[in-house]
Amino acid sequence: MSAVAPPRPSRTRGRVVASIVVVVVVIAFWSVDINWARLGNLPAEIVRYLWLMFSAPDWSKLGEALYQTWRSVEMAWVGTVFGIIVATPLSFLAAKGFGPPPVQAALRGVFAVIRAVPEIIIAIIILSVTGLTPLTGALALAVGGIGTLGKWGFESIDGVPRGPIEAVRAAGGSTSQVLRWGVWPSASPEFLSFWLYRFEINVRASAVLGLIGVGGIGDMLTSYTQYRQWGVVGMLLIVVVIVTIALDAISGAIRRRITEGAPVHDLER
Amino acid sequence: MTAPASVPAPAATAKAAASAAATPPPRPAGRWKPWLAFGVIAVITAVTLSPQLGIAFSLDAIARNWQNGAAKIVQLLQPDWSFFPRTIPPMLETLEMAVIATAVSTLIALPLSLWAARLTNPHWVGRGIVRVILNIVRAVPELLYAAILVAMVGVGALPGILALVLFNVGIIVKLVSEAIESNDAGPLEAARAAGGTQAQINRAVALPDVWPSFVNQVLYVLELNVRSGTVLGLVGAGGIGLLIDAVRTYFRYDQLSVIILEVLVVVILLELVSSAIRKRLV
Repeated sequence: MSAVAPPRPSRTRGRVVASIVVVVVVIAFWSVDINWARLGNLPAEIVRYLWLMFSAPDWSKLGEALYQTWRSVEMAWVGTVFGIIVATPLSFLAAKGFGPPPVQAALRGVFAVIRAVPEIIIAIIILSVTGLTPLTGALALAVGGIGTLGKWGFESIDGVPRGPIEAVRAAGGSTSQVLRWGVWPSASPEFLSFWLYRFEINVRASAVLGLIGVGGIGDMLTSYTQYRQWGVVGMLLIVVVIVTIALDAISGAIRRRITEGAPVHDLER
Repeated sequence: MTAPASVPAPAATAKAAASAAATPPPRPAGRWKPWLAFGVIAVITAVTLSPQLGIAFSLDAIARNWQNGAAKIVQLLQPDWSFFPRTIPPMLETLEMAVIATAVSTLIALPLSLWAARLTNPHWVGRGIVRVILNIVRAVPELLYAAILVAMVGVGALPGILALVLFNVGIIVKLVSEAIESNDAGPLEAARAAGGTQAQINRAVALPDVWPSFVNQVLYVLELNVRSGTVLGLVGAGGIGLLIDAVRTYFRYDQLSVIILEVLVVVILLELVSSAIRKRLV
């Protein structure tokens, strides 16, 4: 009895997918408007600029850089707080079983639309009202935050176990009592953790919003890039990296504490 | 129904007496902590909103310019469709940039993610170096890279692609190396026990294992690239952002709304396609 090897699984589909991907990539390379000849001396150029930026960072502007960083972080903070204030009630309305179904669908659509629009475009719309001020940046981040916070919010409320909710209802609780005692205890760790996560996102986004002139570290960075003062640019990049990593670390530590609970100090045996 | 109450069973009396005498358990300690956190948050918020230290939040400006904003929003609601044909070539450029950046960063990120995970690279020095560099790279948003790269290599799609690649490599390597680490170490140990070198192990065991999560992250990055590729042009890095910058300088919000709608349609379509592909993967 010679054993017959099982037939190889068909690879046709994989090959078709792979060739489609290759074709799309080739078309993209083919049609994009890039002077490929310049690509040759690109590495040397980049090394030269990196040298200009980081061989002697210009620390004389550090004070202003820190002030602008503070403004960016403020934008991020205010944007997060406003976003939370607006998004939390909306996410309850968008969750299954709390809002009327048409409102639910409409809100979910609104969240999806907001998430598809970059914050910087939201800021361009808002600046017609508030001008080129940090407030514009904060409001843009708040609106952008409604999209993400709203979505994460209703998803986590949808995931809350139904038991406690039914128990509060059975005990005669009103909708607000159901939210407070049936939903909030199990949803709150997730809520707190994605509020912090949104703050981390906003810190990055607030630096970007400076590019359209609403102030903050991004504003300063574009100015000095245009003046081609590479020493200052290098210093600003170092500040951005340190501040972002530090804030991420703090917020990450708080998030872990919230989602994983307190560290166990001693176990009585 | 009064009979059981008037003639209670002995056990029930004892229980009732005990519960009357017992004090309720002490409230759990640390209930002040949420209030402390809330207080801290309120103070920071107050500082950030104050006119001296903060962003000078005032309803005044909003009240004054409300009309202006309303007029702009009315304009936004009346898209100028005759502008649409002019938006197509830059939109295509955005898509091309996104595809190229995704392809290039995929090629760079695959070896690096194997390099950055403990299971596939036991040498902690090399691993540490890759991780530190990528953490630093990830801390800067892609638009800031684009702004600097435009000053370095000139206006066009090239700085945009470079900025996206920098950012993408950081994300893909982080997510994929985390996926590798969460995988079962058994097959890798088996391959090592069979005498495979690390390269052989990675090629034969680790790679097939991470493949789905890798494709998943690549799709995610493609979505991110299209989304941020639409605004890279604001700093001169190519794509539809160039047009956004142009119409915003002339306050042509009716044309801006055409662009926004187009971005919306493209992003949402892409999201649908990639979530369909993801379902097939899992």
